[in-house]
Amino acid sequence: MKEFIKRSEGLWLFTRSPAVMIAAVIAILIFIGAAFAPWIASVNPYDLGSFSLMDGLLPPIWQEGGISQFMLGTDDQGRDMISSILYGARLSLLIGLSAMAIATVLGVGLGLAAGFYGGRFDAIIMRIADIQLALPAILTALLIDGIARGILPPEVQQDLRVVVLTLAIALSLWVNFARTARASTFVEMNKEYVQAAIIMGQGPIRIMFIHILPNILGPLLVIMTVDLASAILLEATLSFLGIGLAADSPSLGTLIRIGMQFMLSGEWWILWIPTLFLVALVVSINTLGDFMRDVFNPGLR
Amino acid sequence: MFYFIYKRLIQSVFVMLAVAFLAFSLFRFVGDPITQMTGVETSVVDQERLREELGLNDPFISQFGRFTVDMLQGDFGYSFRTRQPVAEMIASRIPATLELGVVALLISLVVGIPAGVYTALRPRGVITQTILITTLIGISIPTFVIGIMLIFLFGVQLGWLPTFGRGETVNIGFWESSFFSIDGWRALILPAVTLGVYQLTLTMRLVRAQMMDVMRSDYIRFATARGVPMRQLYFRHALANTMVPVITIIGLQFGGVIAFSIVTESVFQWPGMGLLFLESIRFVDIPVMGVYLVVIAFFFVVVNLLVDLLYVAIDPRLRV
Amino acid sequence: MKKRSLRHSALLSSVLVSLAAGVSATGASAETFRWASNTDPQTMDPHAVNSAPVLSFLNNVYEGLVRRGEAMAIEPSLATSWEPLVGQNGWRFHLRENVTFQNGAAFTAEDVLFSYQRASSEAADVRSWFAPVADVTVVDDYTIDFVTTAPNPLFPDSIANFMILDKGWAEKNNAVLPASDAENFATMNVNGTGPFVLSSRDPGVKTVLKPYSGWWDTATHNVTEAVFTPIGNPATGIAALLSGEIDFIQPIPLQDAKQVESRKGFKILEGEETRVIMFGFGHEHEKLLYSSDVKDANPFKDPRVRLAASHAINMASIDRVLFRGKIEAASQLVPAGISGYSEKNAARHEYDPKRAKELLAEAGYPNGFSFGLKCTNDRYINDEALCRAAASMLSAVGLKAKLSTGPVRDYWTQLRADDFDMYLLGWSPGTFDMEHPIRFLLHSQDDAKKLGSWNFGNYSNARVDELLPLIQQEINPTNRQNLIDEVVSITQKDAAYIPLYTQPLIWATKENVDMTQRADNFFLLRWVTVN
Repeated sequence: MKEFIKRSEGLWLFTRSPAVMIAAVIAILIFIGAAFAPWIASVNPYDLGSFSLMDGLLPPIWQEGGISQFMLGTDDQGRDMISSILYGARLSLLIGLSAMAIATVLGVGLGLAAGFYGGRFDAIIMRIADIQLALPAILTALLIDGIARGILPPEVQQDLRVVVLTLAIALSLWVNFARTARASTFVEMNKEYVQAAIIMGQGPIRIMFIHILPNILGPLLVIMTVDLASAILLEATLSFLGIGLAADSPSLGTLIRIGMQFMLSGEWWILWIPTLFLVALVVSINTLGDFMRDVFNPGLR
Repeated sequence: MFYFIYKRLIQSVFVMLAVAFLAFSLFRFVGDPITQMTGVETSVVDQERLREELGLNDPFISQFGRFTVDMLQGDFGYSFRTRQPVAEMIASRIPATLELGVVALLISLVVGIPAGVYTALRPRGVITQTILITTLIGISIPTFVIGIMLIFLFGVQLGWLPTFGRGETVNIGFWESSFFSIDGWRALILPAVTLGVYQLTLTMRLVRAQMMDVMRSDYIRFATARGVPMRQLYFRHALANTMVPVITIIGLQFGGVIAFSIVTESVFQWPGMGLLFLESIRFVDIPVMGVYLVVIAFFFVVVNLLVDLLYVAIDPRLRV
Repeated sequence: MKKRSLRHSALLSSVLVSLAAGVSATGASAETFRWASNTDPQTMDPHAVNSAPVLSFLNNVYEGLVRRGEAMAIEPSLATSWEPLVGQNGWRFHLRENVTFQNGAAFTAEDVLFSYQRASSEAADVRSWFAPVADVTVVDDYTIDFVTTAPNPLFPDSIANFMILDKGWAEKNNAVLPASDAENFATMNVNGTGPFVLSSRDPGVKTVLKPYSGWWDTATHNVTEAVFTPIGNPATGIAALLSGEIDFIQPIPLQDAKQVESRKGFKILEGEETRVIMFGFGHEHEKLLYSSDVKDANPFKDPRVRLAASHAINMASIDRVLFRGKIEAASQLVPAGISGYSEKNAARHEYDPKRAKELLAEAGYPNGFSFGLKCTNDRYINDEALCRAAASMLSAVGLKAKLSTGPVRDYWTQLRADDFDMYLLGWSPGTFDMEHPIRFLLHSQDDAKKLGSWNFGNYSNARVDELLPLIQQEINPTNRQNLIDEVVSITQKDAAYIPLYTQPLIWATKENVDMTQRADNFFLLRWVTVN
């Protein structure tokens, strides 16, 4: 009953807030565009044979020299900007969502367990979290990237860069989840229903996942949205520092990194169109995150 | 109390050792220092000899052991690239990074707290909405793009502020400071704003959330009912109550600011530790990378320790 | 209490000093010249590291027996003349008299001998320059002989960057050998004979030079103080130039040249480096490492496949789009103008995708095959973009390149470990002669003789190996050129490498600064005039 009220209340709130609705529409459009990129985009920017250097540096259609084949222009390789952005968003979202999923599972699992068992186990998990926090994300990325290069056979390394990058980002995000889950678990542990379940002899896994987890979903969901946004940005930053994805299979971040070279040269669209796109995506996700926080935490309204 | 501190200290040492170990193990994958240290004409035989001399052919564990033992004895080694003592190199860069971090944090507090209070008290105002949207966009643009945009706007187009470096610095003993010259302050503004944007948004949101929570609490309602003036209520009672969690979180974030200054320092050619670290990655300068990581871990550990102690000071129940 | 007030006043005075400094900095005289480059010279020791940023910077402070002029030709410096030895192999150098080091010590043959011993020691990275040297003998205070193991017509050319230190200074300051583990005095301090002295140094941040009043040559520059700052991020560097904080930057990204030029008060210096960018192959690999279809053979062993790759590259488009028309296509491993350049083989394989497909079919790969292409992304101008474009062009004829790009810091290690099918390489001939790339890139790998050390794919041709020593010892220029022409012709037909273009050189300065852009990308303050 309580859940139902919360949900319908959320729905009601949603219809009352134009900003949130716009954000939702933008996010959904980008998600659809990314998911169906292979069917929407006119060329496959990852297929080197499908575009030609001859078409390089064409401006968007509204600027002199633009042609209708490339509505938003082309980059220095002759790749259609729209197609690059759709595929780039696809890759960014894939990395962001997977990193977030891994971080959630890892962080929540460890956090729950730490909160439930407490004591030495808790101390160990929290020290590992400290170590993780003390290693900036760029270093985690370098580390994982390096290890992967050390142990994987050469022909799969290029294909696995996405996996490596995802893992690196996931590892730098899990601590948030773990800390939140742990703190919430401590609170829940003192409540009667959990104490009752323990006295009744229910197994720890059951108590953690059936009783505690549903009650801390709210804050976790908020962190998930915020972290999806930061995962996408982190990927862009890593790319800027030179440990991101290769330029022939660009994510949004890689497109921005490539575009930085053209900031001054007059080809503004190579930088600013992907940047605008990224900002629209991240702002929408963050707005939805804020909205969810408001729903789950009515005190902030 | 003493037992608590003692326990935390032991844990901190463990964290630092673990960071050092992880850091050290990653260096083997960053690249080959030898090809970065020698010219194209250096023969393979000479390269191998140098590798042997630097102990790079030793097993990993003995390299790490040597690194740790030397470091515990206060010997931080010499840079592969410049041959300078690493301790000196890092120490000379610490002031730049700390000053940048502190000013960024100050900006985030000085702007973030009032903005947080305002948006909490007038949740539906136009200004509130504008602030919220602006900060949201602010944290949605990658830091390096913000930095370059600021440089081109204020450095190149308007010509108001320097585009790189620290400007004039003044030596106070070993500490090289930007705080004592106008030029130094001018050089600080853009990088500090770039680095502070994210913290600012975080602080503002935190203050806003805490403020709204506190305003709804029974104690404030009671005070309102008793007729305490609104202004006094907001600032003496409500705000004061929000400060403890805010300061804690900000303290914890400071370590993050120091680590994240890598990107800002690279964009502004700010001669701090982060820039040194990026350069040492580029040239596979293993000793510098190692010590940098341990120093960063040290900052984290110290800040964490202080925050924990703050908790103990506030909440006597933890003093067991 | 007393202590405290003392500290206060110290603080106060430092504030005042800094304010004064701030004022004087803005009103600095016109001849303070500020410049930036992307890399800081890592040491001030001229023998410790054989790298362009160090040698270029130190050429302002130290000098060699010979030096390179504006057009790269060698000219007298600390030696006034030199001639081949009579009766044995080697060269005699006559030294300049009345030259003093910056600390006031006189320059004599003893300093040259000492510098030779220092630069050829195991701790010196430049020792490879002296591999042909058997002995050095001081004849008198101003005459010195370099005895070589074989005739070596190019020896004076090869030591233009061999810089002379003062023996007494080095001995007094414990800097007899270049620093090998810890730093020594010469890492941070200089004492040369050159036109500038080091006035302050903060590694990675700022280095200041001042003119040396006792320089033996006539100073033609008008710089009274020169401040160098490394700026790693290209956009930041351009911003610093456009905002007027620096007077000169080298290099700048190609695509920004137009923008800088269009602004009032700035100009671009364009030229060509001596570096040729090329693709190399894994000649001796038994099979491809990165292929998804041909797993048990290495098609690149077949010269027809390599030729096909060469015909697939459209240099005209690469030039127009990626390099804004600023590059010169290359036909061989050195650009025109370098001694030994083969005029007879100046035509490069033309862009002909049809011919490429035919060649592939002849070689037994009518549908092409996939393979790995390795490239750097931070070593050469537009290296990553070039490789993406090339991969796309190769794919168009059926050579499906799987591109992998990475920073240079672990690139050479991968190449040395034979971890490639095809790779990108840039080569600048250190001696400005064709013999250099033949020795390093075309001769088969031979660690004992220190030959072919950058021939990663181990291209091996018995005739080329035979020709190299002949070229090295031939004194007669015509005969020598014939020998070189033969090497270039063989390797061109074999498509041992695919030479692409000469790397362009783009510097940017304020309009009122005159300087010389030398083809080795060295920037020398003695050619700077601020108007």
